[in-house]
Amino acid sequence: MVELKDVSVTYSSGVDALNHVSLKINDGDFAFVVGSSGAGKSTMIKLLLKEIDATEGSVTVNGYHLSRLHRRNIPKLRRTIGIVFQDFRLIPSMTVYENVAFVLRVIDAPYKYIRKRVPYVISLVGLQAKANSYPDELSGGEKQRVAIARALVNDPKLIIADEPTGNIDPELSYEIVELLKGINACGTTILMVTHEHDLVRHFGGRIINITKGQVVYDEIIGGTDEGERY
Amino acid sequence: MKASGIKYLVEQGVDNVWKNRMMAFASFCVLLVSLLLVGISVLAYLNVNTIIGGMEDKNEVIVYLEDTTDDATMQEIGEKLRAMPNVTDVVFYSKEEALESLKESMAEYEVLFESLDDDNPLVDSYRIKVGDIHTIDATIDQIRGLGHIYSIRAPYDFVNILIQLRTILTWVMGSVILAMVIVSMVIISNATKASVYARREEIRIMKYVGATDAFIRFPFFVEGMIIGFFAGALALVITWLVYDAVANILQNQVALLNIIGMGNIIQFSDIYLIVTLAYVCGGALVGAIGSAISTRRYINV
Repeated sequence: MVELKDVSVTYSSGVDALNHVSLKINDGDFAFVVGSSGAGKSTMIKLLLKEIDATEGSVTVNGYHLSRLHRRNIPKLRRTIGIVFQDFRLIPSMTVYENVAFVLRVIDAPYKYIRKRVPYVISLVGLQAKANSYPDELSGGEKQRVAIARALVNDPKLIIADEPTGNIDPELSYEIVELLKGINACGTTILMVTHEHDLVRHFGGRIINITKGQVVYDEIIGGTDEGERY
Repeated sequence: MKASGIKYLVEQGVDNVWKNRMMAFASFCVLLVSLLLVGISVLAYLNVNTIIGGMEDKNEVIVYLEDTTDDATMQEIGEKLRAMPNVTDVVFYSKEEALESLKESMAEYEVLFESLDDDNPLVDSYRIKVGDIHTIDATIDQIRGLGHIYSIRAPYDFVNILIQLRTILTWVMGSVILAMVIVSMVIISNATKASVYARREEIRIMKYVGATDAFIRFPFFVEGMIIGFFAGALALVITWLVYDAVANILQNQVALLNIIGMGNIIQFSDIYLIVTLAYVCGGALVGAIGSAISTRRYINV
């Protein structure tokens, strides 16, 4: 569960990135966060990962009250969150398998569990044939699938996808959102930041529009032709 | 953390040396040069210090006894001199020996000595060496207190020059070594920062997936330690070769050896153990700590 109560963020430069934002995303929800560049979307992600602190208000993520969370406990919070970046952020010196397994190694998961879990998650994103490939041997869509597998492998409560379709072909964008929808169907909360309105209109669901640091729209809409493409 | 987790992190550190071999090589070279700068400065200082120590050992204080002192008292004074903690060597020099020596050195004035007949104007003496020349004044005061002392001749000028020389050298060499250490730390710090900077994205990803600071730092620590270890080992070999070559050249310079003393050049075989430990452990430690500290900047995300 993600909850922001009257949250404001003002950077040291004096810029008000978020201005009295309140919103709640329940467990199992799928929400699109839309807004133009500089609207405050990235600031919100940084807040949820406790990369920055709120100037005012309170933030709760997966039961952690972030204003009270000590720095040494930040890794614990982040282990409950899977994150997918627009630019994939895979470790280039590691294979697909190693990139995904890495998350489990971080939490000191048993070796046997890693051997079992990683191939399973890689197969979920359809990349079993590429398990031993390095990131630079993959297409943009494949890289993003690896990033999703990495976000998923730890069985997180929440996946934050920050413009996950921004660096891949439009056709593949739908595939990626389908994949995230499938993960959501299994109970994982998904927060997808995007500025691709076509995608949002196509899939529908909960749409949160942030403009100039404020939530100006938070509604559930129906999709246009969900499933038609596949 | 489980043993398998530690094993994984150590393996990561070892793998990273090869995966980032260009940066590892750069760090290795920087560490090697830094270790050589500091190591050779320290060895030079130790040798100069030993040479000055050898010169100090040549000091000689002559204690002239009163002419009326009987043999038993003279012997007693000799025992007391030997018992003094700062006196390392005591040799009795009778007035007969002194006269013979004087005659030999002034052979062309033999006629002067003929007029003395059997009357010896010289006195018996003890020639002593002091251990610590810094406390020579206190030792001489102590000797005066023994009684039956006619006069004492001490090499004050020589001692003062040596004390000043040692003080100046300690400051100069100490400053050089300190400067070398600071320069080395700055260079090493920048080299490891460059290495860590090249992998800042990797560190950020680790942070985002919930890695602890220790988990991130440990492979860098291992990597730095390995690089430092090998840099220390090569620095040791280079130092050994250069040191022996320089020592051989010096030992063939007879005139120089007369000044500095044959035994005052430290043999590498006498110090190789401590030098090996200093280089290898120092290299590994500086490499490990330098790498781990350099990750700090990129860890705070």
